[in-house]
Amino acid sequence: MHGHLPFVRHPEHEDFLEEDWLYEAITETYVPLISVFEGLVRDGIDFRITMTLSPTLISMLADPLLESRYLKHINRLIELTQKEIERTKWQPDFKNLAIMYFNRFSHARDTFQKYNCNLTSAFKKFQDLGKLEIITCGATHGFFPLMDVCRDSVRAQVKVAVNHYQDAFGRRPQGIWLPECGFCPGHDTILKDAGIRYFFTDSHGLLHGTPRPKYGVFAPVYCKGSGVAAFGRDLESSKQVWSSIEGYPGDYNYREFYRDIGFDLEFDYIKPYIHPDGVRINTGIKYYRITGTGNHKEPYVAEWAASRAAEHAGNFMFNRQKQAAYLNDLMGKPPIIISPYDAELFGHWWYEGPMWLDFLFRKVACDQNEIRMITPSEYLNQNLRNQVITPSLSSWGYKGYSEMWLQGTNDWIYRHLHAASGRMSELARNFPGAQGLVRRALNQALRELLLAQSSDWAFILGTGTHTSYAIRRTKDHLLRFSRIYEDVKSGSIDENWLSDVEYKDNLFPNIDYQLHQ
Amino acid sequence: MRKILKKLKDMPLRIISKVAFKTDSKNRVKNKQPSVRKASRQEQKEIPSLQETVIANTKFSHSENISFVRAMPEELPSFYDQDRIVLQVRDPHWLHSYWEIKAQTFEAVKNKLGDDFYRAKRVLRVYDVSNIMFNGSNANRFFDIIINDFANSWYIDTAGPGRSWCVDLGLMLPDGRFVTILRSNVVTTPLDGPSWITDEEWMIPDDMFARLYGMGFGLGRSSPVGGAWQERLKQGLFSSGLSSSPVKKIVKERNFWLKVDCELIVYGATEPDAKVTVQGAPIKLRPDGTFTLRYYLPDGKQVISVKAASADNLEERVITPIVTRETR
Repeated sequence: MHGHLPFVRHPEHEDFLEEDWLYEAITETYVPLISVFEGLVRDGIDFRITMTLSPTLISMLADPLLESRYLKHINRLIELTQKEIERTKWQPDFKNLAIMYFNRFSHARDTFQKYNCNLTSAFKKFQDLGKLEIITCGATHGFFPLMDVCRDSVRAQVKVAVNHYQDAFGRRPQGIWLPECGFCPGHDTILKDAGIRYFFTDSHGLLHGTPRPKYGVFAPVYCKGSGVAAFGRDLESSKQVWSSIEGYPGDYNYREFYRDIGFDLEFDYIKPYIHPDGVRINTGIKYYRITGTGNHKEPYVAEWAASRAAEHAGNFMFNRQKQAAYLNDLMGKPPIIISPYDAELFGHWWYEGPMWLDFLFRKVACDQNEIRMITPSEYLNQNLRNQVITPSLSSWGYKGYSEMWLQGTNDWIYRHLHAASGRMSELARNFPGAQGLVRRALNQALRELLLAQSSDWAFILGTGTHTSYAIRRTKDHLLRFSRIYEDVKSGSIDENWLSDVEYKDNLFPNIDYQLHQ
Repeated sequence: MRKILKKLKDMPLRIISKVAFKTDSKNRVKNKQPSVRKASRQEQKEIPSLQETVIANTKFSHSENISFVRAMPEELPSFYDQDRIVLQVRDPHWLHSYWEIKAQTFEAVKNKLGDDFYRAKRVLRVYDVSNIMFNGSNANRFFDIIINDFANSWYIDTAGPGRSWCVDLGLMLPDGRFVTILRSNVVTTPLDGPSWITDEEWMIPDDMFARLYGMGFGLGRSSPVGGAWQERLKQGLFSSGLSSSPVKKIVKERNFWLKVDCELIVYGATEPDAKVTVQGAPIKLRPDGTFTLRYYLPDGKQVISVKAASADNLEERVITPIVTRETR
């Protein structure tokens, strides 16, 4: 499971819409997942899950400003649900749902506070229990295949992430989720140098590798030259969850994502809970089930949705059993099936997702003994001998390669990003072992470069909706970088300005600019 | 925002529309405006990771942040004062290149070529440099793309998966001579199907691999699908998709709509220390003894008895508004 959000933190604004991405993810995805894990541990259910927590996500979860803002945010939502319980007094269906959200949000707040407002510590707990394997990601989720002409930046993305992981979890990461699952042959060497044992590719990353992988995506391979292991994604299990056509989340009993009271209710009533400028936003309170293909929607019935989630978990397990049995015959050894998903799929997009996962873990542990869950490092420890190939350039993005991040709407960014990367290497080369103010400036230069490289900006530009924030972020970080570059070269660093930028873009406190070479 | 969410829902369609253009190397994809059209379910199914894209985008669902947009930063520099041409891989078939030429480099070429300079055409020469150390003259083959003088980037259709490429930006003189100005890095396009190289030690029968291959792509529900591999290749899953069907005529959807709902506000005041119940349930008064209640009003009759009792329980007042909603 891949948990990532770009670094969005704006101390200069009291209410900043994009920070809601984090708050929504905490309430709808991260807290529910933690609750599922807690329940499993409490009930003595053995389970395994491998999860990315991207360095930017960890940084935001650990940030005191964002923590206090989240509390403010969730308290406001709880207040809204209280009003909703009153308002829907004469509509019992809706009143029950208002109560459901009141309980849910209160639980989110309690959980958040229970872990001292930093959910990373919750995930760390399950890792230390051996149930969860947390892997790292690119420092700011840069898309590596389009950084191939400046591999110094790929190295910095990986090394900054590994060091950051070590600070957060007290050990080195075993594996990495390459941002957007983007692999480019040769980058495995960079992973090896950073002490990483394995990564993932999309199906065609292995299937189109050279030479052919004997077991397809159902056994890992070692990359030729580096020996780093690559696990390939199984698309059959992915499709059962992701697909808009056959996927579980489209079930008519599940909650409708696109009907939110932030848009549905009367303006004056909802105004205190949307953006102060009066811009309507999602509150997370959604009263309808998908119902059907049309616009008519019926109220959500929690019991029906729960029973569907249980059925779907059973169906998923049944299909994996069949798949594994078939593959076992064909391969003559147990296959490994890799089913990666975006964390936000669970809870945020697919409201019942965490519940489905809970049912699945319990069924796999209690109802059968044909398949079991395993982490990649456990698998590698048990299966030392694997085939050696060179996986193919690939990503899990739209159409499988780089097009999502390289098309008419976003290709302009690369000349700037690559130029900045070249300049960062030049700085690292020309100012080795810098101290004091120069060191601070150089470290900040690397922070700004990394932030500009987030694939999220190119992704948003690629979708063509609400691009101004992504443009703004790309430009802001590049311009800050350029200024530092010029100032360091001319020996005229403006400390006040630098302090302000350090305060705004405050992630990776222990960064070392010399990692960019 | 409602529209925006609708847009998000439609996004796969919009993206598909972008691939519906038959683009050739003379026209940069960049200059094309994508137009909206409906895609059939079948088409949706064939594009990998479409749904992931839609869902990933819901992470970022938001409205434009007005205050932030107003303060757009200054522009990025147009030039970095360097001679550089960069080549990147977009997919097994397409490359992307961008470049920058210093003014003095250009002047030098101009001085060297004299009048020929003005009659020369600007050209991208694309070399196939697979399996060689390219020295400028030993390419396996090459082809030229004539570009306009103002272009600073280009999408190149190599039609050559699994090959290595290098590009020269240069001038084609009237006598057919080619003058290189800049040379790019070398890139390798990925294969768009399985490799034909099978390791001897790991030799496996083709049919077994074909079945594994089909399953890897989720073809068939936990059962082998014969020929799935070939079928997949036929569908052109891994081609850039640029040769898909042409743009169909857009039929404008009529989506006029109206929505009406009713809410009821009940408000009043009494002594601040009085006990008040509405329909039997106690409510909280503001410090000044006023109260406001807001309800969704369904069709039918609501009898809203409001009862106030004095703090010493000696006095009581009851007022009962009766409200009827009838929607036609």
